[in-house]
Amino acid sequence: MKHLLTTALVASFALAAPFAPTSAQAEEINVVMFGMPYTRGLQKLAGDFEEKTGIKANIDVIGQDVFENRITLSFTGRSGDIDVVHAPVIQVQRWVQANWLKPITAEVDAMPVKGDLMAGPLDAYRIDGEQFAVPFMAATGLMTYREDVLEAAGVGVPQTWAEMLEIAPKVTDGDQSAIALRAVPGQGFNMFIFPMIMRAYGGKFFADYTGGDLTPAINSPETLEALNVYSKLINDHAPQGAGNFNFAEVNAAAQNGQIVFAVEGTGVAAQIVDPEKNQYADVTGLALPPGGPAGRSPAIAVHGLGIPASAQNVAASAKFIEWAVSTETVTKIALSEPFANFTTQPVAENAEVIAKYAAIHPDFLQVQADALNLAIGHYRPLLPEWPSLGAAIGENINAAVNGLITPEEALENAEQEMRDILGQ
Amino acid sequence: MIDKSPEYRFKKALGVSMMLLLVAFAALPTLWALILSVRSPSAVFEPIWESPLALTLENFFNITRSDFPKALLNSFITAGSATVLAMIIGVPAGFALAKSRVSGKFIASWVLLLLRMAPPVGFVIPLFLLYVNAGLIDTYLGLIVAYMTLTLPLVVWSMWNSFAQVPDELIEAALMDDATLTQAFLLIVLPAARPGAVAAAILAFLVAWNDFFFSLIITRSSTTTAPVAVMNFISFDSVDWASIAVASIALTLPILPLMAIANRYIVQSLSGAVKG
Repeated sequence: MKHLLTTALVASFALAAPFAPTSAQAEEINVVMFGMPYTRGLQKLAGDFEEKTGIKANIDVIGQDVFENRITLSFTGRSGDIDVVHAPVIQVQRWVQANWLKPITAEVDAMPVKGDLMAGPLDAYRIDGEQFAVPFMAATGLMTYREDVLEAAGVGVPQTWAEMLEIAPKVTDGDQSAIALRAVPGQGFNMFIFPMIMRAYGGKFFADYTGGDLTPAINSPETLEALNVYSKLINDHAPQGAGNFNFAEVNAAAQNGQIVFAVEGTGVAAQIVDPEKNQYADVTGLALPPGGPAGRSPAIAVHGLGIPASAQNVAASAKFIEWAVSTETVTKIALSEPFANFTTQPVAENAEVIAKYAAIHPDFLQVQADALNLAIGHYRPLLPEWPSLGAAIGENINAAVNGLITPEEALENAEQEMRDILGQ
Repeated sequence: MIDKSPEYRFKKALGVSMMLLLVAFAALPTLWALILSVRSPSAVFEPIWESPLALTLENFFNITRSDFPKALLNSFITAGSATVLAMIIGVPAGFALAKSRVSGKFIASWVLLLLRMAPPVGFVIPLFLLYVNAGLIDTYLGLIVAYMTLTLPLVVWSMWNSFAQVPDELIEAALMDDATLTQAFLLIVLPAARPGAVAAAILAFLVAWNDFFFSLIITRSSTTTAPVAVMNFISFDSVDWASIAVASIALTLPILPLMAIANRYIVQSLSGAVKG
């Protein structure tokens, strides 16, 4: 027994001894991001940054749920353990209101790369005249379609959601449904997709968002019509269980040949048209999402890099951001990863980048650029309350789609909940 | 005499059917994970009868190229260390509480129970801030110490019960034969309470091994443990179900032999450390 205890004691000290705390060095920064092609590519290039600047960047790329938990604890505790943070534009208003992000206007103005960044995504991070983050990616809504099925059915690519409803029964065949759309509730799930239909029919979240009148106006005949179209597509023309599909199920349905149309974000659409990911890619076309009486409104989601208010080494953090969005770095990532929705403009002129994405789909970069030009920055309102608003509206939209409440009740509930959240 | 009446047979068949149904219900998620782990990524969402041969071992190779094996090693290191340290401290503590004649043992038992029952979320924020200031974030030492808040009360509490079942006469006899208290503890009491000690060690290891919350909060890329690393297969634009399934199996496999051993010793410890 003595021998056993001695062995255990020695083993425990042997295990514990090398695990002494390591404090952050002066020229060392911690970067926290969630998983996507750009962030994974950036992580692989961390050595380049250290070579150029002498600053070691510990780039942590984690799952989105893990990310949300870690940054919330770090921000609320003002712990200063994060120097650069992944900043989705849809969250930034709330972070700024809570004083969790540092204004970096002067730092960004001093970056030569600023002139190379797309103006729209860059402006999305400007709040009350201050810049709070720098964009690296702008995902937009795109539609993929099976060319072979449309040709066999003798129909064209739908330009409007009404045409989609007309075409849907003609392309349905046995186990093959017409379409799959995100339906699971969430501001980044069904509320990434549904506003494309809502805005196409002339629906809106507020009476006059750009004019500053934030009276909720979602309970309108236009939004009701859009909700009926969305609900009909999912219930009558989508695979079984589509009432709770998210992007992963939509992607899988497209890759399994279960659907003809998918309207998705750039990241998923890129996988659907990629011959390495989808056996039907060579017969899959790419187009703008359908429009409606009020035109076309592709979804948009901008992601960038910001500096937490509690970060200690702002100069090093700014250097990292400048390097991370530079033409050289972004070009490397665009070539090594499936990353085409960059916001550093000169990358789109790089011959290798053009050739790579043309090989995946000849129209990919062009359709994406067209969609970005049509997208409005406040596709989802840029308000601190948006995460709560989006969650509340998304729950009601999902409940209507799944028949738990009527569409009329859903919009009435959603508008009332919007008023409650906004304190009106 | 064996009852062979139709009524008895019917009841027995009903009972067995219900048990099988319950076992199937409990085993379904594991079976599903096993099937997913060998399905090719393009067939993950297809019913297995539609493409029964769309099987691959590529998912297992893919996961070895990710950060998951390192996370698995981190889980072994931290859960193992937290268990060893909890045993070194907790076993003598359990003995002292079981056999010493001091007042306040009742309060001590409640404090320990409270520590066992308190949800980690209650003290995670102060712990996190303390760790940031002490430079313990993303260190093995930090995670092991945090795990000991789970494992140590468990070991002390269960060893207290195990030692309480060892008759005082055994210790007194050893002391009368000129043994020191340490000798009596190591050579007489501890072997008698071995089933309880093994069960406590295994349960402590499992508690630390399955932890998600502490690892979520106080680790970063260097020390992330396996339960948190599984979540990293869910990204912004994809969910790698096949890798999640493989990772879940990898997380479960080390537990299976431990559960088999634990089962034997837990039964022994419940039926009494010393018979007589």
